[in-house]
Amino acid sequence: MLNVFKNLYNYRELLKTNVKKEIRGKYKNSFLGVIWSFLNPLLQIAVYAIVFQMILKNPQENYVVFLCCGLIPWTFFSTSISRSAFTMIENGNILKKVYFPREILPISVVTSEAVNFLISTIIIFAFVIFSGIGITKYILVYPLIFIAQYLLLLAISFIVSSVCVYVRDLQHFIGIFLQLLFYATPIVYSVETLPPEAAWILKLNPMTYIIEGYRDIFYNQTMPDIQSILILIAIVLVAIVIGYLIFNKLQKGFAEEL
Amino acid sequence: MQENQEEYSIIIDDVYKTFNVYLDKANTIKEKLLFLFSRNRKEKREVLKGINAKIKKGEVVALIGTNGSGKSTLLKLLTKIIYPNKGRIETHGKLTSLLELGAGFHPDFSGRENIYFNASIFGLTKKEIDDRLEDIIEFSELQNFIDNPVRTYSSGMYMRLAFSVAINVDADILLIDEILSVGDEHFQNKCFDKMLELKNQGKTMVFVTHSMESVRKLCNRTIWLCDGKIKMDGDTEKVVDEYIKAIS
Repeated sequence: MLNVFKNLYNYRELLKTNVKKEIRGKYKNSFLGVIWSFLNPLLQIAVYAIVFQMILKNPQENYVVFLCCGLIPWTFFSTSISRSAFTMIENGNILKKVYFPREILPISVVTSEAVNFLISTIIIFAFVIFSGIGITKYILVYPLIFIAQYLLLLAISFIVSSVCVYVRDLQHFIGIFLQLLFYATPIVYSVETLPPEAAWILKLNPMTYIIEGYRDIFYNQTMPDIQSILILIAIVLVAIVIGYLIFNKLQKGFAEEL
Repeated sequence: MQENQEEYSIIIDDVYKTFNVYLDKANTIKEKLLFLFSRNRKEKREVLKGINAKIKKGEVVALIGTNGSGKSTLLKLLTKIIYPNKGRIETHGKLTSLLELGAGFHPDFSGRENIYFNASIFGLTKKEIDDRLEDIIEFSELQNFIDNPVRTYSSGMYMRLAFSVAINVDADILLIDEILSVGDEHFQNKCFDKMLELKNQGKTMVFVTHSMESVRKLCNRTIWLCDGKIKMDGDTEKVVDEYIKAIS
């Protein structure tokens, strides 16, 4: 296990250039460039606000702020996973030619999306401030929840990226699954509005705890449920180890399968 | 065991490699399920059948053999791009392969930026690359073009840049596949001299080549692969003579 970290440390420059390349490459050749990092989530929030507030009449107070606290972390979650599904195939050319620690690829997908998310957090701040909700000391818990989400995504990314090399169907399946999961996560609605018989589904979804956490910090202005976040981190750490073991087993065949 | 680590750079221990050759590759679940019932579309090709070799630190070894004898597969196994089905491969020291030059080059970025990309794939840190940048550019003789995008390079220039990066990585073990076909004659001679220099520095090198002339000049030991097995392993002169006799 120690070797894994040593190897990654030796290749830190590759990780760095890879993350930079992914961030820069994302909006390359587009007219507005980095502005899309802000415009994209804003437009998305607008779409959901129109549908759920104006058409479906969601009674939630400050609904746009409520929405943005859920939607922006969700985008981080879903783009990381769907890009993980493709990263090995996109980089197939290099994988077949040179050796480098393969885990660099899923890690740099999640890390570059994490950087994007951190930039988008500015939007949450802007909404919270301009809607008059304001910022409180609970903001200090933000890094903890961010780390929980980052680690969760690493674990998923290890598994998704490596399995997709062998079973290409998974790429299509993931798209549908994420759509389903979007509605099984309290993003456009709050947990309280669900009948208790359905609420247990949300309890099984790790993203529920993370989005509730962000929402407590920014929207409800209360202390998030630290205990469940810590339990989540503990579970996720185990998941990372399992995910890495699966990844490591599967990566040996990458060059032949791609 | 400790003694081995000191003495040997590469230990190849009874290595077998089989490729599944799919005549029609199944990538989706549906196809995979269907293929469960019709196995005749897959065939196994044994490429390496029990290779044993130990290469000492500082040895320069040539791998020779006809096409399809498993030379390149063996090199790929050594770089850990692919893994053996059976057996074990150990390498001690930093390893660089010059199998596919210019992997990770991005055509839209400048030569200088690509040096950074390429060298980072070889596991160098920013500082290490900074230190080598001048040497790399000088060796490639591309001073005037180094800030142009790589897509504007001729194929010779491209290879020169790629080779210059790979050769300046400062690895302990170099794996080289047919590189003496890089660039024009002047550059080839330069590469050759660089190889000799690295040899004198005590680097371990493994060559795959069809040029018996360079094998004789550069390598003290030659391994002759034939149909996935080692046919002969020993002093270059002897092995090369036998090999030439056998193929002519």
